[in-house]
This record gives sequence, C-alpha cells and structure tokens, in this order.
Amino acid sequence: MLLEILEVYARPDFPEKLWQHVLLSLAALLVAIAIALPVALLIRNTRLGAAIAINIGNIGRAVPSLAILALALPLLGIGFASALVALTALAIPPILINASTGLREVSKDVIDAARGMGLSGGQILSRIQLPIAAPVIFAGIRTSAVQTVASATLATFIGGGGLGDLIVEGYSRRGPEILLAGALAVAILAIITEVGFGALERAFTPKGLKIAQKRGR
Amino acid sequence: MIEFRQVSKTYPGSDNPVVTDLSFEVLEGEICVLVGPSGCGKTTTMRMVNRLIEISEGEILIDGEPNTAMSATRLRRKIGYAIQQIGLFPHRTIADNIGTVPHLLGWDKGRIRDRVDELLELVGLSPGEYRDRYPAELSGGQQQRVGVARALAADPPIMLMDEPFGAVDPITRERLQDEFLRIQEDIKKTIVFVTHDIDEAIKLGNKIAILKQGGVLAQYDTPENILSRPASEFVSSFVGADRVLKRLSLTRVGEMDLEQANGGTGGLPRISDRMTARAALSELLGSGQSRAVVEMEGENRLLTFEAIEALTSGAEHSA
Amino acid sequence: MSNPTVLFLQDVLQEPKLIDWEWIGENFWEDIVPAFQGHIFLSFVSVAVALVIALPVGIFSARYRKVYPPVTFVTGILYSIPSLALFAILISIPGVAIGPAPVIIALVAYSLLILIRNTVAGLDSVPPETIDAARGMGLTDRQILFRVELPLALPVIVAGIRIATVTIIGIATIGAYINGGGLGQLIFDGISRQFPTMIIAGAVLATALAIIADLLLLALERYLRPWARVRRT
Repeated sequence: MLLEILEVYARPDFPEKLWQHVLLSLAALLVAIAIALPVALLIRNTRLGAAIAINIGNIGRAVPSLAILALALPLLGIGFASALVALTALAIPPILINASTGLREVSKDVIDAARGMGLSGGQILSRIQLPIAAPVIFAGIRTSAVQTVASATLATFIGGGGLGDLIVEGYSRRGPEILLAGALAVAILAIITEVGFGALERAFTPKGLKIAQKRGR
Repeated sequence: MIEFRQVSKTYPGSDNPVVTDLSFEVLEGEICVLVGPSGCGKTTTMRMVNRLIEISEGEILIDGEPNTAMSATRLRRKIGYAIQQIGLFPHRTIADNIGTVPHLLGWDKGRIRDRVDELLELVGLSPGEYRDRYPAELSGGQQQRVGVARALAADPPIMLMDEPFGAVDPITRERLQDEFLRIQEDIKKTIVFVTHDIDEAIKLGNKIAILKQGGVLAQYDTPENILSRPASEFVSSFVGADRVLKRLSLTRVGEMDLEQANGGTGGLPRISDRMTARAALSELLGSGQSRAVVEMEGENRLLTFEAIEALTSGAEHSA
Repeated sequence: MSNPTVLFLQDVLQEPKLIDWEWIGENFWEDIVPAFQGHIFLSFVSVAVALVIALPVGIFSARYRKVYPPVTFVTGILYSIPSLALFAILISIPGVAIGPAPVIIALVAYSLLILIRNTVAGLDSVPPETIDAARGMGLTDRQILFRVELPLALPVIVAGIRIATVTIIGIATIGAYINGGGLGQLIFDGISRQFPTMIIAGAVLATALAIIADLLLLALERYLRPWARVRRT
C-alpha cells in the first residue's frame, strides 16, 4: 500500500495540485492579513469598533467553511478565484479577533507611561503596542493559516483545485491509495503549517515577554 | 518655576469640577507634595502639568511660559514622569527602558549608555547586573527604582511623580523614600509629587498642597506650618489627631538644643542623635526614665521631656 | 433606479435559479427537516462523547502534569489534520464503513484538544487558597473536585464546549460527503445537481445552526461568570 501511495506522489499532476493548494492558502492568508490588520489598527482605540470587530470575528468563526465555499458557487461561479474569495473571508476572523484584542490588552499603565514620557501616538503604536501585541497577533495568524490550509481541501468541491482533488478522486473511483495519498499529503501540509507558524510566533515574541510569560507576570 | 494660575478642570457632561480654581507656585528645586483624600483631584492636577489632561480654565506656567507654548509631546520629553504602576515596557531591557527619552531626543549611543549606568548606580542597582535584564525579572521594589531612573534619564528640570513608591511593602517604601531624599539632595529637581499618605507628604515635601474634594486647595504651606497652624477643620482632621507627634518627627535629636550632662549618666538610656524627636519620645516613655543621654559633638547631653515639649510650643488649634 | 450595484443585486436575487421557494415548500419535510435533524444528531452525539472522554482526561492531566504535554501533542495533531483528510483516513481502515460512525469519530477527535485544554485551564484558574480552605474544612479530595473545583472551573470549560460545538457543527457538514447525513447532504446534492437552492438552503441553515449554538452557549458562559459581565476597558 505504501508503494502505491508513493506512486501517486510521483504522478505528473501531483506537484500541480500541491502548488494549487499552497497558493490558494497562502494568497487567502495574505489578503486576509492585509484586510484584518489595518482594520484592527484603526479601531484599536474605540470601544465600539472593538466590540463590532469581536462580534464579526466570533460569528465568522462559527460559520462552517463548507457553507461559505458552497455559497461562492452560485454567487461567484466555480474555479480558483471563487475559492480564493471564500477562503479569504474565512481567514479573516481569527486574525481580526486576535489583532484587536491583542492591541487593546496592552497594559494601560505602560501606555500611560509612554505617553507621559513624550512618545507620540505613532511611536506608541510602533514601539510599544505592536511589539507587545505581536505574539497574540501571530497566534491569530497561525490559527488562521492552519484553518485555511484545511479549508482549502474543500476547494475541490467548487472546482478550485488543490489536494482535495485527490481525495475526491480516490473516494469516487474507489482508489484507496489515491484517497490516502491525498489525505496524508494534506495532513502533513497542515502539520507543517502549524509547526512552521508556531516557530514564527516564537520568533516574533520579544524576549522580555517570553520571560514575563515564564514567570507568570 | 511651576505656577498654577486659577486652574480648573471640568469634564464635559459633568456639572462638578474635579479641580477648582487652583493657584500656587512650586519653587525651583523644591518638592511640592499634592495630598488629599481620593477624589480630590491630586493626580488630575499633576497630569495637567504635562498635559496628559488638558486644562478647562486658567493656565500653568513653567518658567514663566504657558505649558501650551509647545507641542504636548515635546513638553513631555522635558518632564520626568513616574507613576505608581511604573509601566516599564515589558518587551525592552532595563537599559532600553531607561534610555527611552534620551533616545527620542537623539542622544548618541555612547552618551545614553553612560547615562543609563550612571542612573542605575544612583538608584542603587548595579549596572553590570541589571542593564540587560527584563522587567519581569525584577522585584517590585527594583522595578520602582528603575521607574525613577527612567524619569531622570534626560535630566529634566521638572519631575512628576504619582505615588511612585505606592506599589511596594512599607519597609521597602521607607528605604526608597530615604534614598529619594538623598538623591534629591544631589540633583535638586523641581518635583510635583502626589500621594494619599500624609506621613509621606510630611517626610518628603518642602511644601505640601492639601486638596479637598473637587480639587479645592485647603492649604499650601510647609509641613511645619501645616502641622502647627492648620488652616481649617478639614486640614487638621486630614493631618490627623496626632499632628503634634507628627511635628516631632520633623526634627532630629541632633538638631535640638540640649543641656550638657554633668556626670551621673549611668543607668540612663542612650539615644542616637540621628533619631527623630518623635522616636526619641517613644524611647523615653518606654524606658520609664525621665531623661536620656545623647552623644552630640563628642559630649554627653541630656534629653528631657521638657526639651521635647519645647519643640511643640507655638502649636495652635485649628481655626 | 439605474445604480449598477442595485441592478446587480436585483439580478442576483431574482435569478430564478438561485432560490426556488417552491422547491423549498415542496421538499421541506422530505429533505430539509431530516437533514436538519440528522445534523443536530451528529453534533449532539459527538459533543457528548467528546465530553465523556475529555473531562476525565482533562481532570487527570491537571493533576498529573507530566501527562499533559503528550496529551496535548496527540490531540493537537488530530486537530491539525484537515477534516476531509481525516474522514478519508478513517474510511480507509478496513472494517470502517462510510456513514455517521466515522464522522462521529472524527468530530470527537477534533474537539478533544480544545475540551481537554479548557478543562485544564479551568481547573488551573481555581485559586489555590480556595482549595486550601476547603481542605482545611475537612472536605475529601473527591468532594473538593466536585463541589469546589469543577463548579469554579465551569465557565472556562463551557467556553471550550462552545468552541467545540461550533467547530463540530461546521465540520459535520463535510461529513455528508461520506454519507454521514446532515445539512451537508443538501449542499453536496445541490452541487452535483447544479441546483443552487439546495446549496443555499444547506449552507444557510448550517450557518444559522452554528451561530445560534454559539450565542446560546455564550449566554450560558456569561451567566456562569457574573464577574465578567461587567466589562471594563
């Protein structure tokens, strides 16, 4: 069985599907970051804005991925582009929630000290708020990344391509080796994403905060 | 140096001012302590000096110029700012924290480094050991010292301090207060200091401004005068019923005028000339004797109840 | 009105193929309701089974901390595997037929991580002084667990249940692909028949179910945690 699975990976169309999957996920994630982060920055000081963002984020998190992808079908048609739009929409909530709460949870005393010492608003944002909120923001990006890679598997149902194609092919044609090959590839990709972004998150956590976390302060 | 001219603050939507028609002057090199019950507007008053809160009416002059003459950000870089919760930047080293304002002002790295080391020494933390640590690694008392060092970093002529020693235990606080006084003897900054603790105010202040609810000035005077001549019922009850005893803590035994001891000092308790008169009184009472021996300028002198009483003469009851 | 946006929306909404209300009326009891019921069944059973596993494991992990990292690791891996892939792997196991069973197994596997993590976090959040006081009053360990720790840990645990439930409702839609039933069936049928009405019916209902469950459990969570109701910024 193992041999047959490996043979699937040797197929000429495998790299293409893998690339489609990665591209779809990456593009959706980047666009989601490009939308969610500026929004979180804009609303960081307003209570109403934050409440709206959190609510949108929570509702967005509850929506089933398949539902959004499926809805893209009658509204936007089949193909890569529709899948991309749907996946981007799905990728936004975790980033928005985390960026928003992360920025707002920077200690008010630290910000007061910074203001009192004469840092301008922009300096407070770039030197104080963003670095301190960075771990939380990255945790959100990581969550979104793993979720997007998983949801991209479903893109196959609306003709978006990706590794889901292999799973569907294996299931409908009763080719268990194709089924498993697809499933394993996606699983490994997802785990790599989780581990990779986890490392990124740690890299972006300022040392002082890591120490504070360890000491429970 | 810092002049308050009929300063008032009312928040929009509220009927009652939180600071009412405040007028007083803080002289150069003095520590002015703002003290009062909670809700008296002392912190608000302090924060109006560096415009973290904007004045509704009146003006604040610094060296004769209104503090609105320049941008708030530029103003704040010239004023040291230390708050109770300290607010050290957790993601930066101690050295980075202290060097924040010098860095903003464009000092070169070498100068900043030297200044950081100098300040760490000043507040009693060994530079080699502490400059590269992070705030989470320091105890509360150590963090508070760093907070003071950070406020002093750019050598501002004026400092604003809001209960800077509030977040530590009483023993550490007393030590920090003593060191603070020692430092001030060297650097002679003009300081506006906020506290709710009247004992701290008496200990640290050259002048004390006692504020009532709504930011009304109840009395602005030296600690000595506030204790011996309280301007109102409010002031005397805020100061406490033991104000006479509090006055005694303003004088050290070594400053008192004591008669010489002529022999016969065996069996009498010995008291250090560095002790406050109040502490000495306590010792004397506890010893069961009516006199104690103090060594001053090489000779033995006698501390008596009468000598202590003489200190409190001239105390008036409240108006 | 000649505003292009309005024209577009009118176009889209009036598209005869998009929502065929007649079909909905005709097939409501035959197709839609069973799908809805099937979905609730799948979700409910999965959450229940997951709790039965996760709560004891969580309590155990909170006590014997050494177990916690490996437990987190394994459940974390299970959580990372995309659902469709996990379904595929499960039905590849000889003896596992397609249908609701593998779907439930997968759904349970997904929710273990969050449930166990929140159980441990909830128990951790109980102030040690409270436990100390209880012990001092003479309660046994078991009594402390059931009368002190678990009740105090409840808000955090319910928060975990909320996330798990919403996740499960969402992934259950995919389970229809391997004949698990549920609202996903409407979606997949709609896709293969190229009949948007079914897709929209399934998608909208699944979304609504997830959001309602989220809000209900959020309300429960807030109710259990009165001190968090007063939000200060």
